[in-house]
Amino acid sequence: MANVMEIYQLLPKTNCKECGKSTCMAFAVDLLARKFKVEDCAPLVREDKYRENYQKLSEMVTPVGDVTETGLIVHEDKCIGCGNCVVACPVNVAADPTGAGSGKAPTCDRIILKVEDGIVRAMNVQECRRFGENKILCVACIDTCPTKAIEFV
Amino acid sequence: MGFGQFLSSPEVKLRIVTYRDAFQDAAKVESLFGEEYERLSATILLDAKDITKLSIKENDTLILKNKSGSIVVKAVESGYEQPHPGTAYMVNSPWSNVLVPEEAGGTGVPAFKDFEVVASNSKGAKVTGIKDIV
Amino acid sequence: MDNDYYVCTGCALLCDDIGVEIEGGKLTKVHTACRKGVAFIKGCRHPLDSTVKGERTDVDLAVKEAASILKNAENPLIFGHANSSSGAQKIAIGIARRTNGYIDDTSSFCHGPTVEAIIESKLKTCTLDDVRHKADVLIFWGSDPANSHPRHMSRYSYFPRGKERQRGWEEDRTAITIDVRKSDTAEICGKNGLYQIPVKGDTEFMEALTSALSGKVPKTSYDFDKKRLLELAGILKKAKFGVIFAGLGMIYSLEDFEPLYRFMDKLNSVSSFHLIPMAGHYNMRGFNENLFKETGYINRVKFNGAEVLHGPEYSVVEALRKKEVDAALVIGADPLSSLPRSIVRYLEEIPLITIDPCQTLTSTKADVTIPCALVGVESGGAAIRMDGVEVELKPMVETDRLSDEDVMKRIMEEL
Repeated sequence: MANVMEIYQLLPKTNCKECGKSTCMAFAVDLLARKFKVEDCAPLVREDKYRENYQKLSEMVTPVGDVTETGLIVHEDKCIGCGNCVVACPVNVAADPTGAGSGKAPTCDRIILKVEDGIVRAMNVQECRRFGENKILCVACIDTCPTKAIEFV
Repeated sequence: MGFGQFLSSPEVKLRIVTYRDAFQDAAKVESLFGEEYERLSATILLDAKDITKLSIKENDTLILKNKSGSIVVKAVESGYEQPHPGTAYMVNSPWSNVLVPEEAGGTGVPAFKDFEVVASNSKGAKVTGIKDIV
Repeated sequence: MDNDYYVCTGCALLCDDIGVEIEGGKLTKVHTACRKGVAFIKGCRHPLDSTVKGERTDVDLAVKEAASILKNAENPLIFGHANSSSGAQKIAIGIARRTNGYIDDTSSFCHGPTVEAIIESKLKTCTLDDVRHKADVLIFWGSDPANSHPRHMSRYSYFPRGKERQRGWEEDRTAITIDVRKSDTAEICGKNGLYQIPVKGDTEFMEALTSALSGKVPKTSYDFDKKRLLELAGILKKAKFGVIFAGLGMIYSLEDFEPLYRFMDKLNSVSSFHLIPMAGHYNMRGFNENLFKETGYINRVKFNGAEVLHGPEYSVVEALRKKEVDAALVIGADPLSSLPRSIVRYLEEIPLITIDPCQTLTSTKADVTIPCALVGVESGGAAIRMDGVEVELKPMVETDRLSDEDVMKRIMEEL
């Protein structure tokens, strides 16, 4: 998973402010949180000398697609649909102990992760431990993913 | 322009270990003859040192050959934490099977997961297609 | 099993909790199956046609032609079976018997020795349901379920809560990978969960562990950290219900099974350990069990009148290498993609029949191709899971293609 320093290293580091931020570091922070897209850094796109870095950044910071309100992103191209996260998720275990919580097909619709067409999907995000105020930084779904397909931004 | 171009392309002996990949398996089921399956199969994972030794860049193509046959595959750095110079990884596929030795010592089990090849820069040759294999 | 659920035949886990949505006779959505399973269930982009010598024909004619090839052959090879229903496998055995043929399956160059040792009770085993409910120490040795059997860890081995494993994976289970590289499975086994050994280092590692379990200093020629080996031995000793998931990485590396038997014996004298072969194709184990019931052997058989011959010389690899067969029927496998090129080239020289739902590399070289329904999706039957449990399959959608069992039945009738 990308961190802010790795992103910063690939930016022009000129603090040109074209993006509206005062420094490239500030842009990097917002890029990591997906408040910006890689393309929002105009010099990176425009100038040939940054082409390699632009390409690297685009691979590193994949477009958000559907970021849920908890910041959860499923990188669909990396997900093998193993369902480890579905079973390990404490909310799923509490809501559906004998179904999703036991590694089987879900038997209740209050769960927050399930596998559909071979890829994990998030729903009922308000139930996620990372949702809203006073959230818990639960990492059950991240730690159990063999392909690093889940990310919180 | 590097110094390398004045040398004949270096040959490097590699021990190949094969493995399985869920994405490549899924691509095979969808279309054995498809681009995705070729892309995910015709690849070799190398140690950074071997990439240097071969005087190639990542994503260049390599010729792999031994007594059993020869194929052209794309070279990628493995990214494994533990260095593994001299050993390279390939996903099990019709491509790797071109190189698996015929001799099975009478056991009926060929050495699918552990065999040797000589690798060299293909100088821009295209990756071997599945139709070229059969 | 709930009646609304189907079984996925994408691999030998045979997950029996698959939900599907169907519109106008077509599958539109698949629930709970993994990426591999969904690809398998949704089917291939290149279905197989009924052909004779490259010309399209009706199935009747193709069946007649297939039967005539088999009748005219002196030593036909009936090969494949790992992706066939048990019904089709049983008829395949009958066809081999009738034609004095060779019969072998993919286990011949895969998990054959492991399944054989289990069927002959030389290795202690258990079911995946036992694993879910009881297992506390899991060893993935030369296996990488994250890629080969994606739902293995979520459905059975590591993550689910079970009857005697109520606190889940964090507290109740220890997962360990022994492998030559850091596989995706090793990634989730945690910081100290990977024991990385050199290629072909398995036998020595096994012997070192056996020594460690006997209280001796574990030595390897590659100087594996003795402290870590002793630590691992400690974990194994404390296991209440241990399971080794043996992959091809381990099996191919062993010259013979004696070190494995010694290791398992030692383990079972200090704790309780079981072994499950990580069979890949959904019904490889089924073929082994079915042939065993008929002949007393799990694979590599040649029928000779009432006599049943068995041995490595009757394996698909040696039979093709020595060019001892003069025709081949391939069902439920694709030898041209899964065997060394130098060995399978011979298949192109002899009359070749392929039965499959999809075009395969083998079918592109076949003289006769006969399409069949995709088992578990378009037709039903039975199959045996990697752990030996029989699972009933039922079709999800209708098809006008014959089931694999029916195709084999038709060929048998023509003989």
